[in-house]
Amino acid sequence: MPLLRVQDLAVRHDGETVFAPAGASFTVRPGEVVLLLGPSGSGKSTLALTLNGLIPHDIEAEVSGSVTVDGMDAASTPVARLATRVGMVFQDPDAQLVTGTVLDEVAFGPENLRLPVSEVLQRSEDALRRVGLWERRADSPDALSGGGRQRLAIAAALALGSPLLVVDEPTANLDPRGVDEVFATLAEIVKTGDRAVVLIEHNLDQAIGFVDRVVVMDAAGRTIADGPAADILRTRAAELHELGVWLPTAALAALRLRRAGYALDPLPLTPAELRAALEGERRPPGVSTRFAHGATGVDTPPLAPRAEQPRVATPRQPHVVSTHFPRGATETAVAVRHLTLHRGTTAVLRDVSLDIRPGEFVAVVGPNGAGKTSLLQALAGVVRAPRGTVSVGGVDLRRIRDLTSRIGFVFQNPEHQFVTHTVRDELAYGLRHLPADETDARIDDVLRRFGLEDRADVHPFLLSGGQKRRLSVGTALVAGAPVLALDEPTFGQDRARADELLGLLTDLNRDGTTIIIVTHDMQLVVEHASRTILLDEGRVLADGPTPTVFADDALIARTGLRPPPLRAALRGLARHPELDGVVRLSDLPGAHA
Amino acid sequence: MSASAAQPASTHFLHGLNPLAKLLAPLPAMLLLIFVRDLATPLAFLVLAYAVLLVGARLTVRTAVMLLLVVPALIVIMTVGFSLWTDTAGIAHDVVVLRIGGWTLYGAAVLIGLATGLRLAAIVALALIAGLTTTGQDLARSLVQQLRVPYRVGYTAIAAFRFVPRFRRELEVIRQAHRVRGQARGPLAALGRGFGYMVPLLAGAIRHAERVALAMDARAFGAYPDRTERHEVPVRARDTVFVVLLLAASAALFAVFWPWGL
Repeated sequence: MPLLRVQDLAVRHDGETVFAPAGASFTVRPGEVVLLLGPSGSGKSTLALTLNGLIPHDIEAEVSGSVTVDGMDAASTPVARLATRVGMVFQDPDAQLVTGTVLDEVAFGPENLRLPVSEVLQRSEDALRRVGLWERRADSPDALSGGGRQRLAIAAALALGSPLLVVDEPTANLDPRGVDEVFATLAEIVKTGDRAVVLIEHNLDQAIGFVDRVVVMDAAGRTIADGPAADILRTRAAELHELGVWLPTAALAALRLRRAGYALDPLPLTPAELRAALEGERRPPGVSTRFAHGATGVDTPPLAPRAEQPRVATPRQPHVVSTHFPRGATETAVAVRHLTLHRGTTAVLRDVSLDIRPGEFVAVVGPNGAGKTSLLQALAGVVRAPRGTVSVGGVDLRRIRDLTSRIGFVFQNPEHQFVTHTVRDELAYGLRHLPADETDARIDDVLRRFGLEDRADVHPFLLSGGQKRRLSVGTALVAGAPVLALDEPTFGQDRARADELLGLLTDLNRDGTTIIIVTHDMQLVVEHASRTILLDEGRVLADGPTPTVFADDALIARTGLRPPPLRAALRGLARHPELDGVVRLSDLPGAHA
Repeated sequence: MSASAAQPASTHFLHGLNPLAKLLAPLPAMLLLIFVRDLATPLAFLVLAYAVLLVGARLTVRTAVMLLLVVPALIVIMTVGFSLWTDTAGIAHDVVVLRIGGWTLYGAAVLIGLATGLRLAAIVALALIAGLTTTGQDLARSLVQQLRVPYRVGYTAIAAFRFVPRFRRELEVIRQAHRVRGQARGPLAALGRGFGYMVPLLAGAIRHAERVALAMDARAFGAYPDRTERHEVPVRARDTVFVVLLLAASAALFAVFWPWGL
């Protein structure tokens, strides 16, 4: 008997008009690891919530079809009983921790089941040992890193003893180190084969290694594929990609390379497979040996062996820039000179100097606590930098009165920035110094550009997630700022929402807006940023074209960042020098075909 | 278990007591102090509370700051504030402390201020007996175990304790975000800003609470009328002794000073 049977499941939330999912069917057997794929809006997370009855018991929704867990009908069995069969791990670790210590947290579930104290402790110890947190049992969950808290959430689900674990985007709120931790923990749990797992995850590069089967839903929320992961991804990758389903980077790269004439059959799914496949075949005749460097559109110097040409700035002497502000607004969008910034008694930025030219797309990366957000906030005037250290458009930041017309700042959570009661007022707020007839024209223009025309009189908090994000960017730009600074705008969002925002930023950048972004998402950086600034302990460690910075493996490893998957696959290929140094998909041959 | 519990009881006995005992024992004194107007009675209770805390509480930095800085500062601020505020019409004018131009600070006003300051400090110090030696979690547990508060309420309260630092961080970010948008100055604008922070803060709070509630249900919260309790918060003989002793001491102090002139 299958552990889980989902049959023709359709769910419509209160107030929605469409069902998503709308006809999903699949089964999960004990010990199986099933990856649930589908484009944004297909209802993956909604489906996850039906598996232990949170829909419809806790969240009102119209449900048709059936979910059967271990012979019990999920719609008519109380959530508390289903909890012993289905453990849940959600996206935000903070929103699923309820007690004061790590041990109490894991014991919470078994205690609810009225198990005797000795059994509670035994289960808690087993679960904590499996995720590697037993030694930290007396700590507060707040003392753990993001990855640690998510591992704790996994342990808390394991301690319930449920044979099925449902894990919904567990890494969306984590930094690269935390992502690695959580995947290592999941892989470890899967290895013993005593738990079945239903996984929703966009980071397929790491997930694909331990997944048995994939179930794919289309945009309408119907199951369109169900089978062994390798088979489906290899044979139907192009079709899935068209649907808007996430694919492993290696598979996406291979699809592009195929268009350029590479065979790559069967389709590689991991960086290692891509590498092996490439080494097994020749360069197609149409591809030049210098392809990668000629077509980037970025001024990438030829990559010399590291020993001859160290590209990394030493910490004391970062990146050579002139020591005076350049004159005129045309040369630099933002200039920073010897900026040292303290928070309390500790220096968060030490002697940072850099120039950002108009029209650049700059990513600021680095480990936690490197000073990324501090730098961005100093550039945008959110925190006050000392006189003479930061200029925007050629004018010292401290002399600028209407900062919003020079540089816009977008916070992680768009809701934090909203100060009025309608979308229109929200945009007008940034223009309150202008005459009324002029503001109306500008507001209409922004509404149109950001697709918010029919939402002008809606309260900002009632917009959809994507609309809120667009409005927050719109308010930052409405006063005419040529520079836009964004602080981790994709953190905690699913991949689809993140892609939508990045599409918007790319369009703005193409139209001339300078973009400066702080992010942990390396794939985002390599795909979109023309330039990368790497910070560590408040200093600029490297500053240059994105491919150049990411070509230095030692540097990337030292700062705890992760090399982008393409780098791992393509670095130093013996038979394909034309692909060495490529880190982004759009730089591959075949990308422009 | 009993050995480890007895160990701290010998030196820092307050931490080993039931939270409800620590809350209830000083409560009558705190209520009666509200109706006291002299100097000696609140001073005596202040000394009593400090004695209990200094003997019975672990002296952490937080405790030390509360006892040695915050409470004395409270007395000073209240004394100064109330001596300036007191209506001079109804008080004695024989002792003059300070005269600036046409304004006079009378000794009687200072005494009223001092009495008010001491009264408040004594009440605060008595509340600190429980406040500095009890965790919110233990309080919630003893409410469930002794006062039969439904555990769904008690444990939801425990979960809510975790919200506080999160909201503090979130509020800071919201203020920053609103500052970036540019703000009007002045007290009226500040009031408006305060309301402006409430909407995003509440929206975030409600969403967070909903997620936490889902996560708790997903872990079988509320499955049965009761749940396994690993941390017993028992009522022991020492709790009774503490309550009786503190009540007796309070009664004795009121009897000696009898501040109501009846």
